[in-house]
Amino acid sequence: MMNVFLLYLLLLKATLTSFSGLASLPMVRHDFVERYGVLTDRQLTAAVAAGQMGPGPMGLYVVSVGYSVGGIPGACAGWLAMITPAFLVIPILRFIGKRAEHARAKSVTRAVLMAGAGLLLSASVPLAQDAVHGSLSIAIVVLSFALIAFTRVDTFWIMLGAAGIGLLAFQF
Amino acid sequence: MTRPRLKDVAWLFFRVGNTTFGGGNPTIAVLQREFYQRHWLSTEQFGIAFGLGRVTPGTNLLAFCAGTGWYLLGLTGAITAVIVVTIPSSMLVIWLTRVYDQGVKHPLGLSIASATIAAAIGTMMGASVLLVRSVFSKTNWLRPLVIATGAFVLARVFALSPIVIIGVAAVVGFFWVE
Repeated sequence: MMNVFLLYLLLLKATLTSFSGLASLPMVRHDFVERYGVLTDRQLTAAVAAGQMGPGPMGLYVVSVGYSVGGIPGACAGWLAMITPAFLVIPILRFIGKRAEHARAKSVTRAVLMAGAGLLLSASVPLAQDAVHGSLSIAIVVLSFALIAFTRVDTFWIMLGAAGIGLLAFQF
Repeated sequence: MTRPRLKDVAWLFFRVGNTTFGGGNPTIAVLQREFYQRHWLSTEQFGIAFGLGRVTPGTNLLAFCAGTGWYLLGLTGAITAVIVVTIPSSMLVIWLTRVYDQGVKHPLGLSIASATIAAAIGTMMGASVLLVRSVFSKTNWLRPLVIATGAFVLARVFALSPIVIIGVAAVVGFFWVE
């Protein structure tokens, strides 16, 4: 089992270098699946699914990753890694304030955000290769992609709908 | 502006943060309405916390909660807001992870888990499109497209580490201003 402190540091590296909940996923996959081999692609995708089934931010999947790698202590490390960067907003509010809205600062932030988008798409390719087999799961991927990208349907309903399809597929 | 009591702040963040589905934006929208109704935050304070929450690393919603909690009650307010928003939903996520682990051992559970995992992959791909669209406009489309596509190619074709790609993007953003 991975050392809890190392687990925290790796997850913190992922959350500190992303600007949106799921944008940390490529870094998490790089470290936990490819580098250390303590997590499978299937477990990572299940963590994302678990994070999206409940209320709260998208970044919650980090807690599930921590739990899969290190049990309850790992989940605590994941929770700490998820909340630590949030407190950076306090010195930003106190000392930087509106200067953070400076054109060059915003330009750097947005560039990192865009890179996060490309990396997220890149990380989802091997996850899809691992977990998506057969026409039904391909149809679910396409449908959920379209619903997220082009409508305002809540992810909770998408996950619930997919669970319903899985139930029906088993029955018939 | 009215200075709230700690238990009222804790209850508001607990109630909204753990009952609103759909991620950060719906939660922030509900909190905004609640802050205005109670006269806890000015429009300017809300705007600054919202804007700076987006440029703070990590999950935007949590930075927003820490920022507004700090405006309301200082460091105590920030810590309280983040803890009450994340602890219950984190416990739920741990339980759901256990359900997944157990569920895949049964054929019915495996069928449901496989379908929801496929949906999770679709939502990941959709989320990347949403990220690009968040800064995409008629006058600003080339830069987001080049950076996002470049990051994808560097990762898939050249297998560069995400941290290197993020560093390259930051340098590009510094010199190629919108």
